[in-house]
Formats: sequence, structure tokens, C-alpha cells
Amino acid sequence: MDIRNFFGAPKVIKHSKEVKKDETSSKLVKNDKGSESKSLSKLEKQVSKDREKKVTPNKQESKTESSKKTVIQIDSDEDENGNFSTKTKSREKRQSRDLFIDSDEDKTPKKASKRKKTQISSDDEESEEVIKPSSKKTKSKRKSHRVLDSDEEEDPIPQSDKKSRKKGGKKAGPIYLDESDEEKRKKSTLNAYFKTPSPQKSKPKEEVKKQDSNVKRTPVSVLDFFGGGSVKRTERPTVVSKRKLEEEEKEKDKFDDIEMHDDDDFLKTLEDLDEARPPKKARVDSPEKEKPTSKPAGTLASKLASKAKLLVEETPEKSKLKDISDPETEKKLPKKESPVKQQRFSPAKPEKILPKKPSPSASEKASTPKPDKAAYPKVSPNKTSPETPGTMERKGSMYKSYLTREGPQALGSKEIPEGGENCLEGLTFVITGILESMERDDAKHLVEKYGGKVTTSVSKKTSYMVVGRDAGESKLAKARSCGTKQIDEDGLLDLIRTRPGKKSKYELQAEESFKKEQAESLKKKDSINIKTSEHLSKFERTPSPRKQTNIKMESSQSESTMAVSQSESTLTVAKSESKVKGSDKSEESLLWVDKYKPSAMKHIIGQTGDKSNAKKLLNWLSNWHKNRAAGVKPSGKFFGKDETGAGLRAALLSGPPGIGKTTTATLVCKAAMMSLAFKEGLKVPPPALNEIILASNQDIRQVIHNLSMWSASDKTMTYEQTKKDADMAKKDLHLGPFEVCRKVFAGGQETAGMTITDKSDLFFHDYSFGPLFVQENYIHVVPYAAKGNVGKHLSQLSRAADSLCDGDLVDKCVRTGQQWGLLPTQAIYASVIPGEHMRGGMSQMIQFPQWLGKNSSTGKHDRILQELQTHMRLNLSCDKRGLNMDYLPYMRTHLTDPLIKNDADGVPDVIKLMDDYDIIKEDFDNIIEVSKWPNSIDPMSKLAPKTKAAFTRTYNKEVHMTPYATGVVMKKKRGGATATEDDMYGEEDGAPSSSDEEGEKIDLETMIKIKKKENKDAAKKKTAEKKTKAAGSKTASSKGKGRGKGKS
Amino acid sequence: MSLWVDKHRPTSLHKLDFHKEQAAHLKKLVQGGDFPHLLVYGPSGAGKKTRIMCLLREMYGSGVEKLRIEQHTFTTPSNKKIEISTISSNYHIEVNPSDVGNQDRVVIQELIKTVAQVNQLETSTQKDFKVVILTEVDRLTKDAQHALRRTMEKYMATCRLILCCNSTSKVIPAIRSRCLGVRVPAPSIEEVCQVLQNICKKESLNLPTELARRIAEKSNRNLRRAILMCEACRVQQQNFTVDQEVTEPDWELYLKETAQLIAQQQSPKRLLEVRGRLYELLTHCIPPDVIIKGLLQELISNCDGQLKTEVVQTAAYYEHRLQMGQKAIYHLEAFVAKFMAIYKRFLEEGIADLF
Repeated sequence: MDIRNFFGAPKVIKHSKEVKKDETSSKLVKNDKGSESKSLSKLEKQVSKDREKKVTPNKQESKTESSKKTVIQIDSDEDENGNFSTKTKSREKRQSRDLFIDSDEDKTPKKASKRKKTQISSDDEESEEVIKPSSKKTKSKRKSHRVLDSDEEEDPIPQSDKKSRKKGGKKAGPIYLDESDEEKRKKSTLNAYFKTPSPQKSKPKEEVKKQDSNVKRTPVSVLDFFGGGSVKRTERPTVVSKRKLEEEEKEKDKFDDIEMHDDDDFLKTLEDLDEARPPKKARVDSPEKEKPTSKPAGTLASKLASKAKLLVEETPEKSKLKDISDPETEKKLPKKESPVKQQRFSPAKPEKILPKKPSPSASEKASTPKPDKAAYPKVSPNKTSPETPGTMERKGSMYKSYLTREGPQALGSKEIPEGGENCLEGLTFVITGILESMERDDAKHLVEKYGGKVTTSVSKKTSYMVVGRDAGESKLAKARSCGTKQIDEDGLLDLIRTRPGKKSKYELQAEESFKKEQAESLKKKDSINIKTSEHLSKFERTPSPRKQTNIKMESSQSESTMAVSQSESTLTVAKSESKVKGSDKSEESLLWVDKYKPSAMKHIIGQTGDKSNAKKLLNWLSNWHKNRAAGVKPSGKFFGKDETGAGLRAALLSGPPGIGKTTTATLVCKAAMMSLAFKEGLKVPPPALNEIILASNQDIRQVIHNLSMWSASDKTMTYEQTKKDADMAKKDLHLGPFEVCRKVFAGGQETAGMTITDKSDLFFHDYSFGPLFVQENYIHVVPYAAKGNVGKHLSQLSRAADSLCDGDLVDKCVRTGQQWGLLPTQAIYASVIPGEHMRGGMSQMIQFPQWLGKNSSTGKHDRILQELQTHMRLNLSCDKRGLNMDYLPYMRTHLTDPLIKNDADGVPDVIKLMDDYDIIKEDFDNIIEVSKWPNSIDPMSKLAPKTKAAFTRTYNKEVHMTPYATGVVMKKKRGGATATEDDMYGEEDGAPSSSDEEGEKIDLETMIKIKKKENKDAAKKKTAEKKTKAAGSKTASSKGKGRGKGKS
Repeated sequence: MSLWVDKHRPTSLHKLDFHKEQAAHLKKLVQGGDFPHLLVYGPSGAGKKTRIMCLLREMYGSGVEKLRIEQHTFTTPSNKKIEISTISSNYHIEVNPSDVGNQDRVVIQELIKTVAQVNQLETSTQKDFKVVILTEVDRLTKDAQHALRRTMEKYMATCRLILCCNSTSKVIPAIRSRCLGVRVPAPSIEEVCQVLQNICKKESLNLPTELARRIAEKSNRNLRRAILMCEACRVQQQNFTVDQEVTEPDWELYLKETAQLIAQQQSPKRLLEVRGRLYELLTHCIPPDVIIKGLLQELISNCDGQLKTEVVQTAAYYEHRLQMGQKAIYHLEAFVAKFMAIYKRFLEEGIADLF
């Protein structure tokens, strides 16, 4: 949307339509404005050129100066401004023009529009377009807010700090009213405005607020400005490039408040300049705001006027809006700040204006306006009354109270109002404390739904702080220092209720015909210098139901016309990096790494050139489908000068850590998405696209699929709808069992919004493992429900355990009966219910389930018992359980006692007992192992090593006949005996039972003998038995199996 | 030098030490040369197996005592090979189908078929049927039990089944109704004492009656365990003394300690500790129903009247679910948690009442 505006030409048509829609008055005004604007524009151009030249080299200096100057008081500001003015003139002028126009539009729509129109018309075709949109008052107001913000942000950090106090004051009170008034008064000429601020304080603040709210801030303008500058640099704008730029801008808009802020900053600076003239008025209007900025009205005004003309041509609508707001903001802003802002702006302007700036990027960075802070409406009374920072003790107590604070008390008690679409756009909120009527998440979603942004930490950008019960002390303090407006939840709702809706800038820009842009771009290339930026201001008057007439300011988009050549240059690096810098400064809490993380393609270090890899990557990605469809064969060279990599299927980003591979990929993808949406004529608000991308876990393919699916039904997507769709299409991520288990029990925010379906879905991440983890760890959880009461805790445990039992029963049905349809039932029993009962804090790490290990050792012992029972079977009358529970404890005693008491003398007794029960040495060890308990002493530890050795030696010396084939048993463990072995058994008469006296000798001979060496495969066997002579020859025949054959 | 328990096992019906009337009935039953399928059930250590072997000897003579171990291999429909070992004489075969777990159906079908399809060659001197002894029938899967029912009817002509189990509650009614049920109750304390005295007499030892009684009581009327205990006492010291210590099995001691831990303190931490001990018991293949029973017996002694009924009911509830469920630890732990919750509440109420 912004992008389209940037391109300007197509916008004109729309604007004209809008204008028609608008009241006829606006049309009338146009004529007047047109004449005025022309004259102004000429002046401005001249001035701006001069200033720009000066400014560009001095950008850095200006910053430093500004910081120094911040110290200076308001009075001094004027002087400073004057000094800086040369440098910053161009920018200021532009901004100031915009501002004026906006303000005019806002307060006195007719007059303002006239002025603007006149200016615009005189300047260029584009200017005309601009004028039309400018007529929309609401937009201008919005922009003005932004302007203020941008100023602040742009200011170097130290300055910002100093200023922050003042700014905070300013922010608290909406200055816009004043500005607008002034503008109205100044209707006659822009110059007049600047020079002689007419005190229109008389206008009620309320109106201003409404207007502000109605006016959606159009962060785009900044982008446009910068984009224009960039265009100048590259001068290769093609249709494609335009699209890309637009996309980028959109993206930026989405992501950045930063840009918005930048604009605001500009506005602020402009305002400051303006304020210099009408400082008194501004102050009067917004007493809260401490920023008195007196700028040298005469000089500035003239400069501004001259700039304004230029701006009208070049600067997007947004800029105008910002400009308008500026005077107001200036009032708010302390004198110190104003110079800084001016400085900042100044560098930015020259870039735009001057086509041949050597280092556009740097200038852009400097100039990048910062969004919203300034723009904050006055709606909420300032809670910012400065309080001395709490002592450490206080902090401690605060933390305690934080830990123990209760949740919302009156959820859903307040009706959530239906606000205008995107009515909070451009505003940044910070929520602290507990809101009584809604969950914090809900509040966040509410704000986002209406285009606002919610951040976690207070910065200068923050427009409002929503303060709830038990609000964080530090946040309050910071808010005070930043001058952030504090409102309660009612205030938030009021905001939504009262602020007029508007079409998202993004949408508008998107609507603006792409086609026109292309055509225009061609024209522009020829006729217009690269520097020229088109202002497209659309006026849409949308009758607001509540208030008399809410004028929807469609974001006036200042599109910096890129020198768009339809060459295939892929990336248009239009955005000024300065924005990034500015925004970063305000976010002091961030790591620098995050703070300065590139948010747009241009910001990637070393990848800004046309031939850079990042651009190539984007190009390649954009044309991927095309190339695939066309069957382009890979040329094999991607890094060649002109190679695009067409035909290659995948890209591999390689490089050392920290070089920005991921960043590059992410940005390229975002850009690609935006371009794709744009090409398809799809209107997706950037925040919504962000949601989509997040929902799919950065899976581009899925994003594309989703976009194509949704676009089939509707080409225009609202944020809310998109978010809903994105939620539905949320990519299922596989969680590990540890994570699942943690989530099952996690309390607080993380799981607060989960539905029962979400919770049972956790179970399905791994339905065989999950329940085990839950069962293993539920004891470790300290449930909130227990509230520290052990009895309650136990009963919660018991309930959870009961549910787990139910889960086990269901599990058995599922596993043995193959009734997989019961899985959801199991999910409830085995995961959801225990989770509910035990929801709370985990007292330790998630443990891996013991059950698996224990179960396998149970299995092992069971096998041992089975084997023992098989061996002893002829003499036992009991089964496995009886053997285990009755025999073994005493068997162990009988096996070890003689050795302990008599040492080596006991060996024969033991061996005799073993032979009686057909136990081999291995079984002996097994018995010891199985019957070992933690509460009993291992009898083997009492044995002298000598005795053990004697025992082993003696045992191995003798031949032990067993009624079973030991080899088979060993094999059985490994899972297979052969049929031949079975046959052999059939022939054996192993009947060592005492009752069989008759055939005893024969039996002995037929017993199976085991030869040690042959049994190597049974490595576990420590005991080997010698062959008897009788059996020896026969075993030889069946050596392979290691056992002898029975004679009989 | 076999252990006493095996050395002095009676081998014929008339040598049995208790339930002599039942022995007489059995004798009469087989005197006619035939008998129906039998379902012998009773607690472990009551002499079921001994009685069965006596019965077989009564029918076939000493030939049934000439035993051999055989290994059988079967192929399941899914082509999986399963092995099972059996004990057999010329006249009978004894198998525990539950050794192979879920595939027990295959064992029952195949094994009984092969045994039953072969007629005795010499019908003049021998019975015209063989006997198949199935142990631990209550652990058979439902599938196997239904297969068994069909087999019982089909091969009635050539084989008789003797089923052996602890409880008939898990044997399907269809099987129960096809068998003659023979319940072998546990011997009374006196009978156990008498048996112990007899054995000691044969070993030329003098067993004080008080010690015998203590052993009998400690053994829970499990004769096998009683005899083993008795012999263990003998190993401890050459001659019995009245006040001699009777050693209990380690697992039983461990179980009792666990129960005491539960009664001493009720807290999540303790529950965790108990879980570890329960796992220890389970890994030693102590059956979970034995564990829950042992716990209950110990815990109940710490409860008063009304609490007792609640605890017992709870234990019954969880024992039931234990049988239905799969993972014993879940149910054991749930029982412990429940007991802790109940007991804690009881204690707190008691304290509240005091003030």
C-alpha cells in the first residue's frame, strides 16, 4: 500500500476519487492551495538544495551537535536551530510542509486542503495527488503524532535521555490541537504559518484527540522518503524493483514501529521548528508537555516553506501528516530536543532531495524517523507524576508482591468496544500489572487487532502504558522518565472506542494501482529527478458514527519515486537505515546484537549492492517458480556477475558463524512474501503477514500455500481474519516428550490460554511416551491448588494418580484390544486431568521415566527365574512365583552358609545341593543376584576370595549332569533352538529323581554332558563340564551343538 | 541333600498329611480307572501339585515319576517361533502355557493336539488316555482359555486335563463348568505344625512346639514356606531353641519397611521415596497383588475403626484396577497416594478436634 503510494502516479487517480468522495469543500480548497503551493514549492526547492548540500556532509556532525545542544535550554534552541537549520533545512522544510498541510487538513480541512493543493499543483503532478489526500484531516493528525515520535527516536541516545523527561511531558499532552490550530490560522501561506504561529489554542483538545485517533499514522511516509533517497542512489528502478520496494516497505511497516517512530521524530523536529514560532500557544494548549522549543520562526519558516514545496512534490503524504503534527510536538518537546531532531532530520532531507548523494545509506540512517511516541493522544491523564525511585527494599517487596499477586479478578466484566478499523495503528503500548477485566494476552490481541503494537518494555516510542493493578515499579518509573502516557484499561477501551478507524496504510497503498506506478515511474525517470518524491495524499471522509464526521485519513503516502528502470534489478534499497538506528537507540534494554539486527534487506552489512548475494538470493527466490515452470536449466554459476541462479532448486547459505546467514535468509523471505502478495494483488496487512509467517514457523512454502488458499476467497485480508486463519493453519510442531511434559504441568501465562483440545494435543505429540513422562514427573510438581498445604497437596497428588490409573486402564484397552479410537480418552486421563490437578511449578528437571528401565529389569529377572525354574523343575513343586518368593531366599542361605561357615570345607556340600537341584554355576550366580535386596547383606561379600576360588575350581573339576541342555537354554535366550535339538531331547531320559533307582546308571550315562570348549558360544557360562568317556565319542559327533546324545 | 521341602514330599495319596478326606475322595475317583477334567485350585503352599502327582501315581504307578524335560517349538500364525519347555513322563505332560506370554493360545492348541491325537499303543496295560497338566491357568489370556474350552471337548476321548491355579476368578466360567473343581485349602496352623514335627522327626531333630507354631504363623499357612523356614532355622544353628529367630524372606521385610515409611510420614517427598521402593519390589518380580496386600496388612494396623474400612475399601478398589490395568506401579502408587491423603486428612482432623 505504502509502496504504491510511493510510486505516486497510480495514486493520483485514487486520490482524485477520494477527493470526490470527500466533501466538495476540499475541491474548492484545492484551487487556492494550488497557487500557493506552487510559489512555496519554488522557494522551498531552492532552499532545500542549498541546505541539502550542506547537510549531507554534516550529518554526523549534526548528530553530535544535537547531543551537545540538547543541554541547551529552550531559548537557546532557536539559535541552535538556526545553526543547524542550514544543514537540516531541506528535511525540515519537507517535513514542515507536510506537517503544515496535515495540520491544516486536520483542523481546518477545507483551508488546509486548499493550501496544500495549491502547493502541490504548482509543483508537479504528484504534488496534486498529494494535495488531494492531504485534504483528509485525520491522516494529517495521525502523522503529526508520528512526527513527534520520530524526532525523539532519531535523537541520539544521550539526547534522548536528556530529552526523555521533557518528551515524556510532551507526550503526555497531545500537542496536535495546537498545531492544527496554528495551521488553520496560517492558512494564508505556509510561510505565514511558520513565521507567525496563530494561537488557535481555543480549539478543544478533545477534537484534536478524536482527529488524532481517526488519523492513522502512516509510517510509510518515512519509508517513502528513504525509499526515494535510495532510489536516487540506485537509479535503476524497474517495475519489479518497485514492487520489491513496496513490499519491503510494507514489511518494514509491519515490523517497525521504528520507521513510524522515525517519522514521528521528523515531525517532532519539524514541530519543534514550528514551535519556535508559536511556542507559547503550544505550551498553553498542552501544559503538561514541558517541551518549549522556540525555533527561529522567520528563518525556519522560510526554509520550511521552501522545503514544503519540495516536499509536496517528493514527500509522501505521511511526511506531510507528520509535518503537520510537528508544531504540536515541538511544543511538547523540550528545547534541547528540538535541535537534535532538526539535526537528524536535516541529514535525511538532503538525501531525498539530492539525487547524487555519495553515501545515501548513511544519510538515510541518520534521517530515519522514529515512530509513535510523539503521536500519543492526550486521552489518558498523565500518571507520570515523578516519583522518587523505590529503594532496594521497596523493590524487594515489590517483587514479593509480584510473585504473590493474583490474577484478573473480573474477567470479562467489561464490554470490549468495537473500535474503528486500525484505529490504534501506529501506537505502541506497554501493558504492566494485572488488568482486572481481561487477560494480558487478550489485551495484547485487542491492541494488535486494531493495528497497535504491544511491546514489553517501555521506551520513548511507547505511546501509552496501560497500567493495571500491581504494576511494575520500574516500568512506571521508566514511563515517567520517558513521559509515556499512562492509562488504565478503561482508558484503553476508550481509546478503541473513540479513535476513528481508518484503512490501514498498508491496504491503501496496496490498493493504489500498481500499474499506475509503473507508468509513472517511467515518466518520472525522464522528467523528474530521482530525488523527487511524490506525495499522494488521499482524503477519505468517512462519517464516523459517534462523532460528527470522522475523517478517515487514508495514510498519505509519500512515495519517494524510485528511479525505476524496468531493468531486472531485483532489490530496491530504498529504506533508510537511519530508521533502524533511531529505533535502536530508544530500545536501550536490548542487546546490541538484537538492537541493531537488520530489519530490511538494505541493512545487511555488505549486502546492499545490486550484485550482492543477498539481492541475488531474493531475486532467485522471487523467480523460483517462474524458473521452475520455465524449465530453466541451472547454469551452474550463481556468483557470476550476471548469473541469477535461475534453474537451481535450492540455496545453501554458507559462512562462518555470526556472519548473518539466518538474517539474510529471513529478510529475503519476508521480502519475497511481500512481493508475492503484491503481485497477486493480495492485500495483507504486514502484521498479519507476520502472523502467518510465525504461525508456519518460518516455513515459506507453507506461507505461500496459505496465502494462495486464502486469497482465493478474498483479496483483502484484515488483520483479525488473517490471524484467525493463521492460527488455524498453524504448523504443527513436534515437541519432544520433555517439552510436552513441562507444558502439561506448566502454570501461569504459558498455558493460560490453552483449551482442552490444546492440552490433549500435547498428549498426541507422543502418545506412548508422553504418559510415562507425566507419570514420572507429576510427583515433582508443586501444584498451585495446594497453596502450600501438604494435605491438599497430597489429595491433589492422589487425584492425579487416580487419573493416571484410569489412563492405564484405557491404555490397556488400546493396546490389547487395538481400540485406537480410545486414544483421545487416554489423552484426557493420562495427560489433561493430571495436568489440571497438578498445574504448578516444577521443582526440578523433567525426569526420564524410570518405568522403562524398571520394566526391563523386571523382565530380566523374570527370565532368570524362568530359567531357574526350568532347571530345578524336576525337584520343585512350585511355579515361578513360589520359587521366587519362597525358595530363593532360603536357597541362597543354603548355598552360601556352608561356604561362609566352613570355608573350603563347605564346598562339597554346596556342590551336592546344586547337583541335587540341577543348578549350574550360572544359576548359582543368578540366585544370588535375584535374591539380593537393598535391606539385606550380600552373603557373597562375606566369602573370602580364597573360598570362592576353591568353590569355582572344585565345581569345574567335576562333571555335572543336568536333565536339560544348557546350550539350548542359552540359545533360548537368543531366541532359537533347532528341531534337531528337540529330537535329541525326546531321546533323553534325564530322570535324576531319587525315586528312579532302577535305571539310574543308565540315566547317568545318558545325561547330557557339556564340554567347555564347545560351549564357547555360551560365553556366559563360567562352568564347563568335562565329557565323560561314555558320552565323549557321541558328543564328538554332534560337536556343533555342544552336547551329547543319550544312548537309549 | 535336597531340601526338606522336596525330600519329604509325599508321593502317594495315602501319605498326605492333611485334607485326608479329600485325598480319599480323589482315590476313589481314580479307582474306577477314569476321571473327568479337574480344576485344582487353592493358595500356594497348600499342596496342589503334590496332590496332583499323587493322583497320577495312583493311576499310572511309579512310571509317572520318571520325568524328563522337553523343549517344544511352535510356529505362530504370524510365523514367529516360540519355545516352551515341558515336563513329561510316558503318561502325562505338564506345561505352563503362560510362560510364552501372549502366544499361549498357540501352545494350548498345538501341544494338546499333538498329545491328544496320539493314542496309547498298549491299551491293555495302560489307560487309554494321557493326562495334560496345565499350571497357572488363571494367567492364561482369554484367547487361550477359549481355545482350551474347545480343545477340552474335542479331545476328551484321548486325554484328560488337570488345570492348576490359585484362583478360579480369572478362569472363564465355560472352563470351570467343564471341570471338576478341587479346592485345596491352605493347611491350618496346627496342620503345619504337625507336618513340621513329622519332618523333624524324620531328620532326627527335636523341634520345640512353640518354635514350630511361630514358624507356622510366620509362614502365613504356606506349608512350603514353613518347611523352608524350618530348615533355614536348622542351618542357623544345629539344634533348635525355643526363642530362636525365624528369618523371614528379604522381600517381606522390605515390604513391611515400606509400609512403615508410608505410615510414618505423609508427604510428596515420601511418596517419591515409596515409589522407588515399589519399583524395587516389582523388579524383583514380587507380584503387585502381593505387594498391595502386604502394604494393607501393615497399614491397617495404624488405623482406627472407621478409617480401617475406608482404607480397606481403597485397597480393594486399587487391587481391582491393578488386575485390569497394565502398569502395576501406577496403581500401587495411586493407592499409596490415596492412603496418604486419607491418613493426612484424618490426622489433621484429629488435631483439630483436640483443640
